[in-house]
Amino acid sequence: MSRTSFFNRRKLKTNKPEQQNQTKTTIELGKNLAENLKNIKTILGEPSDLIVRETTLGGTDKKCAIVYISGLVDQDLVNNNILKVIQSNMNEIDPNQIDVVFQEKIAITDIKKDNKFDESIDSLLSGSTIFFLDETDTVLILGTAGGEKRSIEEPQSEALIRGPREGFVESVQTNVALIRRDIKNSNLRFNYHDVGNKSKRTIVVSYIDGIVNPTIVQEVNRRVKSIDLDLVAESGFVEQWIEDSFLSPFPQMINTERPDRVASSLLQGKVGILVDGTPFALIAPTTYSETLKSLEDYYERWIVGSLIRILRYIGTFLALLLPAIYIALVSYHQGMIPTQLAFSIAAAREGVPFPSFVEAMLMIITMEILQEAGARLPKNLGQTVGIVGGLVIGDSAVSAGIVSPIMVIVVALTAISSFTNPSYSVGIGFRMLRLFFMVAAAIFGLYGIILAYIMLNIHVANLKSFGIPYSAPFAPAFVKDWKDSVIRAPITMLEKRPTYLKPEERQEKSKNEEKS
Amino acid sequence: MPPMEDKDIQISDKDIIIAVPSILVAVGILSLPAKIAQETISSDGWIPLLISGIVMIFLTWLVVKTVSSFPNQSFFTISSSLVTKPIAIILTLLFVIQGILTAAFEVREIADISQIYLLNDTPMEVLSLVFLLVVIYAVSGERAGIFRLNTLFLPFIIIISLFVIILSIGWIEKANILPIFKTSIGGYAEGIKSSIIYYGNIGFLLFYLGFAKQPKKAPKMAAIGMSFTVLLYTLLFIACVGVMGNGAVSNIIYPTLDLSKELEIPGGFFERFESVFFTIWVMAIFTTTVIAIDITVLALQSVFKKLRKLNIILFIAPTVYFISLLPKDYVEVSTLSNIVTVFALVLLFVVTLLFTILLKIKGVK
Repeated sequence: MSRTSFFNRRKLKTNKPEQQNQTKTTIELGKNLAENLKNIKTILGEPSDLIVRETTLGGTDKKCAIVYISGLVDQDLVNNNILKVIQSNMNEIDPNQIDVVFQEKIAITDIKKDNKFDESIDSLLSGSTIFFLDETDTVLILGTAGGEKRSIEEPQSEALIRGPREGFVESVQTNVALIRRDIKNSNLRFNYHDVGNKSKRTIVVSYIDGIVNPTIVQEVNRRVKSIDLDLVAESGFVEQWIEDSFLSPFPQMINTERPDRVASSLLQGKVGILVDGTPFALIAPTTYSETLKSLEDYYERWIVGSLIRILRYIGTFLALLLPAIYIALVSYHQGMIPTQLAFSIAAAREGVPFPSFVEAMLMIITMEILQEAGARLPKNLGQTVGIVGGLVIGDSAVSAGIVSPIMVIVVALTAISSFTNPSYSVGIGFRMLRLFFMVAAAIFGLYGIILAYIMLNIHVANLKSFGIPYSAPFAPAFVKDWKDSVIRAPITMLEKRPTYLKPEERQEKSKNEEKS
Repeated sequence: MPPMEDKDIQISDKDIIIAVPSILVAVGILSLPAKIAQETISSDGWIPLLISGIVMIFLTWLVVKTVSSFPNQSFFTISSSLVTKPIAIILTLLFVIQGILTAAFEVREIADISQIYLLNDTPMEVLSLVFLLVVIYAVSGERAGIFRLNTLFLPFIIIISLFVIILSIGWIEKANILPIFKTSIGGYAEGIKSSIIYYGNIGFLLFYLGFAKQPKKAPKMAAIGMSFTVLLYTLLFIACVGVMGNGAVSNIIYPTLDLSKELEIPGGFFERFESVFFTIWVMAIFTTTVIAIDITVLALQSVFKKLRKLNIILFIAPTVYFISLLPKDYVEVSTLSNIVTVFALVLLFVVTLLFTILLKIKGVK
């Protein structure tokens, strides 16, 4: 309910008539070549990278032109497969029949006829070449998109020790191809959406027909279509627009740079969302336990994979609770600390002028600042920040008596633990929650921590990602899915698809495959 | 997918099993060993505990079977068709009272106990208010979310109980357990009387049965849940008496918490384990309170169909808070406890008798 009202509000805002839309509708394709070319130049503001090559059809005196934007097209393709063909001898064909001529002549596979001006301009801006012929109100749109592209590299944000080294790039075509290379299945589907008011972006919704739950696909498509933004600059925009709850600290979609991750998710019955112009794909729906999984758990042997996963759960608990527990124990429940340790903590805190909450806050905020500073800096400077921040500040803060050495241990352990989470965006959420827990501990001690933990659980229990409870498979309990949750059972036991997604085809390996 | 309405929720068999201990296990078990130890000699308390447990398992099975022979109907509709509408309204409103009283009692107790074991200086009013606010947050969410919460919290409760029970095995002294069967018949009867009231709240389950996905399996599932609870109570009682002895147990207010105080955690990781135990136990108390208030909402909504959930909660919450502040000292709190539990049990007996007999007479439509 909140969702629809949210959309409506945004729609009202953008409902005002806009200038660009007006110009788009006023001009239509005429029969006069010179006029058409003039119009196109006026609309685009006569940019210098707009190339208009006027010529005559080879051997005849029929005038024609090709128009493209340099830098967006594959230059060789335009020269060899279009221009050369046009200028070659065309005497034998009736030049007035534009479609017959060029569908047979021009050596480009992606070719379509159009008679709408604004559509032609849109495709021109996405790298197509437009062919105009005099005395015709139809143009040909030739798919010549090309230009500079980044080559496939190892993903920066999700490096694995073991696993494929390829990552997504900015071009959505390449990314689709990468998924196709991983899943050679005729049921692999890609739904294309062009989204954005001022600038169109291609968003591709991919899934495997017959495996995925169709209601999820419908819902994803519906939400993607509802996107009402001027520009979808990154998949983050898509994520924020289509997520279920924008108040939650948890991301309800996983973002990934890894084609293998998307491929394996599709095979589990999830939906992948690729956005042109960004290497980050989205995977939906997701649950809390999914965010703690890394592909490497599957690539390593199961004992190692399971232990690392358990470690990650422990790491998450530590990252969330450790400073809060420290505050609670030191300020309220000193009796719970073993005597020996209590003495040494008391001795260490001897000269510290602040209560433990202030002490912890100081260190945690310093830690956050260091993290943020390091994230934005160039790599070689990042090390300096690490050394200055971690070593110098940590060490001198202790010797200056501002914080106790135990606090430094707590903060360092917390920081390291929070990096065990394979998903950066989940990690950020936990950084916020940690402060919440610290405040709760400062006011109510352990009682506050457990109430805060209950509140967190209430939130997770009510959170959904595309209709799938975020707390699945733990609650509601899908016992069959537990063997791939906290632990990762041997790969031979993971034959079935996860049941919490209610996928259509339950059997992951068909009987035939198993026999062969 | 359209957002799920509360009416659309479906609860599975597992949810019913989990709901039973979530409803029952709360503050009661913390003081239960003392109440029973007072009536019995040495470790004999397990006999009345088990007998009353078995009686209640059967009673639960019976009433759940009766109610779930009307699949997918709310408690109010079922009772309207069985005992006429005016009586149905009275019965439902009695459950509303039970819900409010239970919630108030739990809220009061959690504040009292956390003052004893966790925060000595924080005022009781603040502690109960904070807890009640968290409960309201849970109730105002989806009803399916409450079942998910039960599922998320029950493992913690089981693990901490098992931990205490297993650890206490090493501390049990023979002298505390033996001799057995020394209690008189009257003692056993008193024991049954004081232990059976701890199961009265199971009546709440009747309101959820309308959502059951497989109503035919519901009686069995409820009985399994009950058996688990009875087993847990019995084991904790034996552990308490075995470690601390009958005399000590009957003079402590919260023997289960003091049992965890006696234990020493191997490795010396934590001292005062009872604080940890109670911290985890807050979850158990929380689920009970949430269900109590949710049942109140559900019952009121079934009678007054136009009331909105949020308005009901806004009306109930201050009432619960007010009632929870009424008792002045521990004596009055235990009077409240007696009123709540006896009220719940009597209501459950009345409903069971009425429904079972009338169903036999009228038959299922």
